[in-house]
Amino acid sequence: MSDTDRKDSEGMSLTAAEYVLGVLDAAQRRAAERRIGRDAAFAREVAFWEERLGGLAGAVPEVAPPQRMWSRIEAALGRASASAEARVGLWQSLSFWRGLALGASALAAASLAALVYLGPIAGPSVPLVARLDAEGGRAGFVAAVDSGGGSLTIVPAALLGAEQKSLELWLIPPGDKPHSLGLIDPNRPVTVKVPKDLLARVNDEAVLAVSLEPEGGSPTGQPTGPVIANGKLAQL
Amino acid sequence: MDADQRRRQLSAALRRVASGDRAALRLVYDETSAKLFGVCLRILNDRSEAEDVLQDVYLNVWRKAAGFDENRASPITWLVAIARNRAIDRVRSGAGARLGAPIEAADEVPDPAPIAAETIEAAQENRRLYSCLEELEMRQQAAIRSAYMDGLTYEELAERSNVPLGTMKSWIRRGLAKLRRCLER
Repeated sequence: MSDTDRKDSEGMSLTAAEYVLGVLDAAQRRAAERRIGRDAAFAREVAFWEERLGGLAGAVPEVAPPQRMWSRIEAALGRASASAEARVGLWQSLSFWRGLALGASALAAASLAALVYLGPIAGPSVPLVARLDAEGGRAGFVAAVDSGGGSLTIVPAALLGAEQKSLELWLIPPGDKPHSLGLIDPNRPVTVKVPKDLLARVNDEAVLAVSLEPEGGSPTGQPTGPVIANGKLAQL
Repeated sequence: MDADQRRRQLSAALRRVASGDRAALRLVYDETSAKLFGVCLRILNDRSEAEDVLQDVYLNVWRKAAGFDENRASPITWLVAIARNRAIDRVRSGAGARLGAPIEAADEVPDPAPIAAETIEAAQENRRLYSCLEELEMRQQAAIRSAYMDGLTYEELAERSNVPLGTMKSWIRRGLAKLRRCLER
């Protein structure tokens, strides 16, 4: 490496470090971002500094954001996906819904009735329910947990037809991977038994999700297809 | 949960976010929002601005998760980089909004807390970075740490430390060059 090359490479590393450190002004930051796009060596240098200096963030105290923050993000996501181009995974689910959701409003009424019917099952303790929203914020399924938490009934809120695929229901406790609760039917309410080892995880911290899987269910034990609806369990 | 396990779970959740899984985004949010909000708040010094940026950060994560490569970056530094960039861009666009520097942060420039005492977790995960920082002159490492955590420009750092701009630039640039050589060793 010649002296000039070494100087250039040091200069590049310094600019990358200054960008990551955040000491550049707005115009210099835009210039650095453009350079990331066209100069692979510079982009690697930025990645190097992001990874190394990232350790300093460990010293910044955590501050819990306000409770309402997540619903704000969800609402913004809904607006974004309604207006912007759909991403591949979502697009699959969207066409899935479009092709199969016929007479959805009539069925939504039916499932509300089903939920009311499910009410008494819940018994004396606080019942847990979830509305599993599909793309665009429409209700995809409504779920209710029985009083003992030992089983869960899930009702489709939109009419779906036969399809050479299976719908699999997942319980996702906070900070954990999804656990399968079994296959569900897109056309009628299904009651699934909650495995014993998961009983304690069925609470208002957990999320329910429905994914589209190959016929017979996920071959891997984890969701492999797009998630077509999900929602958090909440106390009724 | 140990750091390795947490890293694997976050990476797995980001992969699911990349496939359009909103529940996975919620998991990422639950695991990381306090850290990222802390990072944004430290830079913006204004709760409502920090909330706006935090919303933007997770929308970005939703859109850009496919670009996360777990072989090249750890999930938390990838997320922190997004949060810092958004927060810094926000401050730079509202120039001057922050000239009333936070007292707590201003205290920190001349008198940084001992690095080892900051957080044990950070020290363990980044032993190399911290040991290299220790090799720098005190004022170099103080300036670099303050620049990173508070998201300040050279001008703002110089003003806070009450030194000429050229002096601040040279502290930081020499510090960074030395840091680079140490990190490469």
